[in-house]
Amino acid sequence: MARTLKDLRPVYVVGVGWHRYQNPSDTPYVTLGVTAIREALADARITWPSAESAYVATALLGMASGRPMLRHLGATGIPLSHVENASASGSTAFRQACIEVASGLTDVSLAVGVDKRNPVRRDSTGMDNLAEDAIAQFTHFSLLTNEYAHRHKVSFEDIARVAVKNHRNGAKNRNAQRQQERSLDEVLGGKKVAGSLTALQCTPIGEGAAAAIVASEDGIKRLGIDPGRAIRVIGSTARSERVYAAGLGFDAVLTKETTEIALQEAQVSPQDLDIIELHDAFTVEELHYIENIGLCPEGQGVHLLKDGALDIGGRCAVNPSGGLIAMGHPIGPTGIGQIGEITLQLRGEAGARQHPKARTGLAHMVGVGAVCYVHLLQRP
Amino acid sequence: METLLKPTLYTSEGALLGGRCTCGHVFFPMQGHGCEVCGRHGADLQPMALTGRGKLLSSTVVHLHADKARATPFTIGKIALTDGPVVRTLLVDPVQQIAPGTEMVTALVPVGTGDDGSAILDLRFKPEH
Repeated sequence: MARTLKDLRPVYVVGVGWHRYQNPSDTPYVTLGVTAIREALADARITWPSAESAYVATALLGMASGRPMLRHLGATGIPLSHVENASASGSTAFRQACIEVASGLTDVSLAVGVDKRNPVRRDSTGMDNLAEDAIAQFTHFSLLTNEYAHRHKVSFEDIARVAVKNHRNGAKNRNAQRQQERSLDEVLGGKKVAGSLTALQCTPIGEGAAAAIVASEDGIKRLGIDPGRAIRVIGSTARSERVYAAGLGFDAVLTKETTEIALQEAQVSPQDLDIIELHDAFTVEELHYIENIGLCPEGQGVHLLKDGALDIGGRCAVNPSGGLIAMGHPIGPTGIGQIGEITLQLRGEAGARQHPKARTGLAHMVGVGAVCYVHLLQRP
Repeated sequence: METLLKPTLYTSEGALLGGRCTCGHVFFPMQGHGCEVCGRHGADLQPMALTGRGKLLSSTVVHLHADKARATPFTIGKIALTDGPVVRTLLVDPVQQIAPGTEMVTALVPVGTGDDGSAILDLRFKPEH
């Protein structure tokens, strides 16, 4: 019988750091990456030689970008792996670091995500298609928006309120790409992209970096890390897309089956969640995912949103960082940045964004292709 | 004289060139790599012409597109084919609002002219009635 992460030795997030997510600039990726790592090391109050392995998440930098970056921290010779898994690259790197520490192979491991907004390249499968070149990501999610609005009799204005909430959160986050509050009129009045989707309802793909250091109890003791600031990773689950019935949205179904496994393994119920960081690249996604995570029945997400239940200080703070819509989505870093936000929230160190009495958090990512990653974190 | 833009995907009668696995899974387009449901490959995957009829699940008018060669607005539809697969492609009318559940059918529309002066046709969907 295979074991779960919780059956292995405990693993904790002990340090988190960022380089701000931002519009494309001339800043080299090396600067972005080492800034985030140095901040995470300072947060853990340890130094680089204590890291025993490194996982570098990047989707758009090309082959072997890690060593030209990490060598500027001091080339300690530790094992180095690159992880590419579309939007979930960072979540995947974090999972690998957790598994390595939980297994006992290392005591301290680093997951770092770094990306620049370079063109996406995907090789041909050898199969032709009708018009995939005409279907951008925002068109896929515009189709889902129209299906959701039709099926649940929900207005496009109410779906757009997700962007109002997430911009409000991002405005309080120094690492967010978009740090400006937006009214519903501003969100709806922006540039039209597809269907009801406007630019402020879509993630601004940019550049940046995020880092998380994980450690075992042995590592925490040996390095004198403050155990009171260590946040335990109580679950890590990953799935990929199967064949679903016509009309079922694969992003939502895949989220449901991945989250169910994660919650069951960690013995946590959706009502226990204080913080959720999820893949809101487009507004409708947040509603789909909170419903499939189990916060409320399908089609009811808008009620929670309008009641303030998803706000910081509400029943469960969803995307307190600002989410992909406001914090941004530089691809490689995004999943690790979610872990960082949840860690700050569970420590009580989130400042103006602090959700009161936060104990349990869930990080969710989907990636084109399609994969889904769910992590559960808890304050001991 | 007319030529099809993508003759490996559809016929001049508007049928879609799909396939069927011995496990019963119907897919589009035809391919020999392997069945997504059971993994069978080779002779277990046989070509099957799909009727080109189905129900609209959703559609959206696209206002912004990176490739300037594809003029906006255009409409993308997501159609559950009667034979099983779900396809996403362009609808004939670039801005028509069509209700989900509408019966849809394939149509061939001229998209250019070949070197020999013949019309080049590409496949779209439109409401059946």
